[in-house]
Amino acid sequence: MHSKPKILIIDDEEVVLDSCIQILGGESFQVSTALNGSDGLRLVQELQPDLVIVDLKMPGISGFEVLDRLEEIDPTIVMIVITGFATVSSAVDAMKKGAYDFLPKPFSPEEFRIIIRRGLEKRKLILETIMLRHEKELLREHFAHIVSHELKAPLNAVQQNIFALEFELSGVLNEDQKEKLVRIKVRMEDLLKIIDSWLRIISVNIEELEKNFSPIQMTTPIYKALENIETIATRKNVEIVSSFGVKLHPVWGDVLSLSEAFVNIIGNAIQYSRDGSKVIVKAEENGTDILVTIKDFGIGIPKEDLPHIFEGFFRVKSGQAAPTGHGIGLVVSRQIIEAHSGSITVESETGTGTAFYIRLPKYFIEKSNKS
Amino acid sequence: MAKRILIIDDDPDFVAGIKSILDTAGFEVDVAYDPKTGQKELQSQTYDLLLLDIMMGRGAEGVMIARKLRKDAKLREMPVLIITGMREQIAFLFPGEPIHPRFVEVDELVEKPVEPTMLIEKVNALIQAAEVRKALTQ
Repeated sequence: MHSKPKILIIDDEEVVLDSCIQILGGESFQVSTALNGSDGLRLVQELQPDLVIVDLKMPGISGFEVLDRLEEIDPTIVMIVITGFATVSSAVDAMKKGAYDFLPKPFSPEEFRIIIRRGLEKRKLILETIMLRHEKELLREHFAHIVSHELKAPLNAVQQNIFALEFELSGVLNEDQKEKLVRIKVRMEDLLKIIDSWLRIISVNIEELEKNFSPIQMTTPIYKALENIETIATRKNVEIVSSFGVKLHPVWGDVLSLSEAFVNIIGNAIQYSRDGSKVIVKAEENGTDILVTIKDFGIGIPKEDLPHIFEGFFRVKSGQAAPTGHGIGLVVSRQIIEAHSGSITVESETGTGTAFYIRLPKYFIEKSNKS
Repeated sequence: MAKRILIIDDDPDFVAGIKSILDTAGFEVDVAYDPKTGQKELQSQTYDLLLLDIMMGRGAEGVMIARKLRKDAKLREMPVLIITGMREQIAFLFPGEPIHPRFVEVDELVEKPVEPTMLIEKVNALIQAAEVRKALTQ
């Protein structure tokens, strides 16, 4: 609102309109008036006002109807109702229809000025929120671009050249020199992994995910995930013990993104397991949910870290470390599971192990009518 | 006779790392640093394999090259190894899943950076498979 705020007053009493104009007189507002609802709505289209004041009791289109139409035309317009029959119920009804405030007749100039000022303040906040949301989206896109191009490309080039060096010098280097190269490679790999995870967090588009939803068996993404991480489990000498209920009720979801979530969670369980231990993967019906339990007998998660392991780095308060220890993959997993109207919780004890519980609601036909 | 490989990638530093691995492994390697030059090279020379970057220039120009190749009677059977740094676009990559609807069976996809042994394995496997296909059709 760089220019003068635009105010439209819709009231069938000319006396009211005149006094309103007088109260708001001066240079600070651009005030327009209409004597009935249909004229008022026409002016709304034309003027795109910041604030509309509507009398509830008018011949022709009622004030309530005007509120309804206004909401359809532009939900960001702030609506204030004035009413001669100042009953609580009509005011409440108006608020239900989206009015920001109400003013009972008769009102003093000061009351009117205050309510206008508050209404315009509200309008300013609405517009600012929209702008900020848009900026946040732009920032997310730019950030993804910067991370992938400006950060990842050079690191890829560095790592590729280290690979080349090691490959070409394999017969020449002594043990000490080889170890140095390994150190560089490992740290570089960690860095690239973190960047990948961040990229996943900012690029998981929940609306996109929902487009692929269909009724599926929860075991399908789990099998897919297990297939994917079999080699890691073998390498770490961890046995995956799975038990699935017979003929589970289907869930409403996307197999690929769910398997990504399970890869992250089971992968974590393997990573923090002791050599030769087990990871239990269980799927069963539990009330109205399908419950998946992923349990390891590894090092566990310290109590103080537990509340933060599913937090994105955006939400981490200053001073707290980002949840790198247990993998940013968990953040992505949570996003995916929540996009499925599900939940993920964790129980852990240091030295004993960790259990993740993933719940997804059972799918019933009615649900598909919603979309 | 040494097998000939063309690399199309716009990052000279990355290419240097890849090329020296392939040189060491005994391949004869040419490089094009932009899609246009790459396409010219493909038309004027004969290669056993193409190493192709996806994100070049104004966007996914590598995909355009891959598509054009599939329509080219002479180059249709040449194996293409796609090397990409764009992890976020292929995050849902699982063994056995098609890489991308735009790519065909003779293509493989690996992520940057590529381990030397893996790179050489893939390159050899793709070239051999292409030779088998060629022998069968003759």
